[in-house]
Amino acid sequence: MIQNLLSMGGHGLFVWASFSITFIACAFVFFKTLKTLKKYEREFVKEINELSPKKRKLVVENSKIASQVLSSYSKTI
Amino acid sequence: MFDLINPTKIFYWIEKLISFINSIFFILLLIALSFALIFSPPDYLQGDSVRIMYVHVPSAWIGLASFTCIALFSIINFIFKTKNLILITKSIAPLGLMFTCLAIVTGSLWGQPTWGTWWVWDARLTSMVILALFYIAFIVSHKFILQENKANKISSIIVIIGLINIPIIKYSVDWWNTLHQPASIKLTGTSAIHSSMLTPLLLMFFVMLLYCALIFLMKYKIEIIRIKKKNLKRL
Repeated sequence: MIQNLLSMGGHGLFVWASFSITFIACAFVFFKTLKTLKKYEREFVKEINELSPKKRKLVVENSKIASQVLSSYSKTI
Repeated sequence: MFDLINPTKIFYWIEKLISFINSIFFILLLIALSFALIFSPPDYLQGDSVRIMYVHVPSAWIGLASFTCIALFSIINFIFKTKNLILITKSIAPLGLMFTCLAIVTGSLWGQPTWGTWWVWDARLTSMVILALFYIAFIVSHKFILQENKANKISSIIVIIGLINIPIIKYSVDWWNTLHQPASIKLTGTSAIHSSMLTPLLLMFFVMLLYCALIFLMKYKIEIIRIKKKNLKRL
């Protein structure tokens, strides 16, 4: 059964190549996007932490996004 | 209406949606792959090579749909000047390009056992390559034109011109003699595909759509954080 699945009636090379290329491309884009997202989150949090306490308070109070990134980032580390 | 897609309002939901899609994605992928590679029957003419359809067709659909969305959003942005729509189009474009390229490559891999050739410059295949070129032009214009307004304007013009190519791709198999087969699935009228093949096809399409949603949300989140970072520097 496994041999039939691999050979796909003589078309195994084409079928498996199609699925593999699709899977590899999708996985590559996923991990690249995830890496970029983490990088941006890290840099954003770093920049907020480098602000003076007064400015930081102002940013966290006025920007929902900033406060959400801060809280989600603190959960991941 | 555009306030509904305000980044501040939907940022919380983006996070929730990403977690939700992550939690169900792999189970659905396994089910779809089992149907596509094991349970679906081989074609009476093409044999098992027909299974390539389960990655080729959804990829092509997504490639076309993404470009249509980008073009429509660009037109709306042209009229209403909604900056948020630009973020959305920028997040969709790389996905559209990837799936268009996947449709071309998997189509080529399907062409060899079915037609006996990897490639022919027929109407459907050539118009898909042109679609990929439009995607590249859109992405490049955003990457290399430093003035944001100018980049938005040029990229919008590119996709609006590219929109002409969409009906050409769709009807190329009816208008010209091509090696590519006509559409088997019709939104109106009866489809020329058996349910035993339609089920895995729709399952794979749904899984790929979920994947697109996941990547889109992540890219959209990146764009929002990038803008917020810029605003921080102005403080």
